[in-house]
Amino acid sequence: MIARFTRQISFFAPAAVMSAWATVMLHTAASGHLNRLLSPTFRSYVFTAAIILLILSALHLMLYQPVSVTDATPPSKRLRQMGRWLVLLLPVVAASILSPSALSSTTLANRTTYDSTAGVTPMPTMSDASKENVQAALSTDPNQPVPMEVTDLVTISHSPEMIKTFTGRQIRTIGFFAAPPGQSQKLVRWMMWCCAADAQPVSVELGGNTSGNWKDTQWLEVTGTAEFPSTLGRVIPKINVTNIKPTKEPDEPYLSP
Amino acid sequence: MFFAAFDLPTGPATAGISWPDVALSFFAIVLEGAPFLLLGAIVSGLVDVFLPAGVIKDWLPRSKTKGIFAALGAGLIFPLCECGAMPIVQRLIRKGVPPAVATTYMLAAPALNPLAMFSTYLAFRNQDPWLMVALRFGFSLAVLIFLGLWLVRVRPEQMLRAETLLGSTTRNPELSPNPGLVLTPRPGMSLGGLQQFTGVVIRDFTGVLLFLVIGAAAAALFSTGFNRNLLAPVGQNLFFGPLAGILLAQLLCLCSTTDAFIIAAFAPFSIPAKIAFLVAGPLIDLKLYWLYRSAFQPRFVHGLWLRALAATFLLTLLYSLRP
Repeated sequence: MIARFTRQISFFAPAAVMSAWATVMLHTAASGHLNRLLSPTFRSYVFTAAIILLILSALHLMLYQPVSVTDATPPSKRLRQMGRWLVLLLPVVAASILSPSALSSTTLANRTTYDSTAGVTPMPTMSDASKENVQAALSTDPNQPVPMEVTDLVTISHSPEMIKTFTGRQIRTIGFFAAPPGQSQKLVRWMMWCCAADAQPVSVELGGNTSGNWKDTQWLEVTGTAEFPSTLGRVIPKINVTNIKPTKEPDEPYLSP
Repeated sequence: MFFAAFDLPTGPATAGISWPDVALSFFAIVLEGAPFLLLGAIVSGLVDVFLPAGVIKDWLPRSKTKGIFAALGAGLIFPLCECGAMPIVQRLIRKGVPPAVATTYMLAAPALNPLAMFSTYLAFRNQDPWLMVALRFGFSLAVLIFLGLWLVRVRPEQMLRAETLLGSTTRNPELSPNPGLVLTPRPGMSLGGLQQFTGVVIRDFTGVLLFLVIGAAAAALFSTGFNRNLLAPVGQNLFFGPLAGILLAQLLCLCSTTDAFIIAAFAPFSIPAKIAFLVAGPLIDLKLYWLYRSAFQPRFVHGLWLRALAATFLLTLLYSLRP
């Protein structure tokens, strides 16, 4: 009786685990949570993998049947084998349920290096949208705020030519608020290269009128003039705020190259 | 001289750990790695079904040492990510590729990856990019040659887990994803190649996935909970800088195409510390340690870990101490 039960469990376990992974993957993609976990490049791979896993699960059940568990297998080893399947199943299901929608200020502090707080994380390029915005900004009313990303201001801070163009320019951007102890207030975005595990905070300093009871990691829309003051030979992107207000988290909370 | 230049940190040095964030990072790592692992298992299945063992042997040089250099060249031409490489390397070994050659390729593919070099150039484009690319490539190649020449002297039974050496033939009970369980075709469903392919893919995927899950848990814990600023005070030190770079690479467990962007922004680290980070990380880290354990014996993995890190440290220390 026990041997038969063990045999059935052993046979169905691979299909159950692969189906569970596929379900978790599909649910994560469908709920939009995947946007908070992986950069856009990798998202379609997850969807494809989920479909393949479902097919493999079906093939496993259709093509094979259990015959017998080796009699010589001691009960402790059988338990260990069951444990392997549970390790494959439980952590990923638990993580899918327990993982929050955003990284906390604790992790922000752990991943903030001295210089990334001042925004020196190198960007591969400026985002395509911002390139267009820059072109538009150069040919339109200079009093109209240019919509930009936090990372674009960091990119500009590396180019003396662009600093000249944008210094004093009205800009509008969104990010979440951070006020690390002993440091100036910042507007932050997470920059995700592959996945949330490698996300790095990128920030610009906030000056001017930032009054408001803002909480750490609260999403804000900020309008103000761009400034690029130089300290000890390093340029620090800064927004001299004229208007600041709460906003909802964007569909893509992380920025990716 | 070694102990000079310990600047005190000016930022937050301790922040604690957020367990929900660890869950988030863990979930992200496994979702990123699983599709590549599945791709590797599918390629492994195709190799098993369609590639006769003799063909691969004919392609390879007779001499193991020449085979090491062929593996290094293959690492340049056929880049593979770490997760996808594991099932393929195991399958190649079962198909008769000498373990030393296959292992050298496994180490070289992420380390010498042209994409990794390109991302290094982009990340350091404001900080002498060609020097960083040359140092990363040159030091990685030197460490890989050292490791390859050591690998040819290690006997396969000392290197590989018993199950990695088995399963080279079809209809093998080891094809079952659960050792001890023997699967047979359902009546009327004997589809030959498809059945063999399915068995290999499921076995390879679930077999390595277990180690990816364990490795991802370790990587998530440290990449989320470890405060990077703790290493900042020694980052510029001639001796401890490279050690700090190696330690950070072990804890953060980044992909070789991403790591340059992370470390380029870490101003407290000197160039030797950054190079140590970039050379050591793709060879072995906490996540790769567990992935390697899916195919290799623990003692061998420990030896590989020690040698890879010692060679990286020696090279970067020599660069750090140059006149």
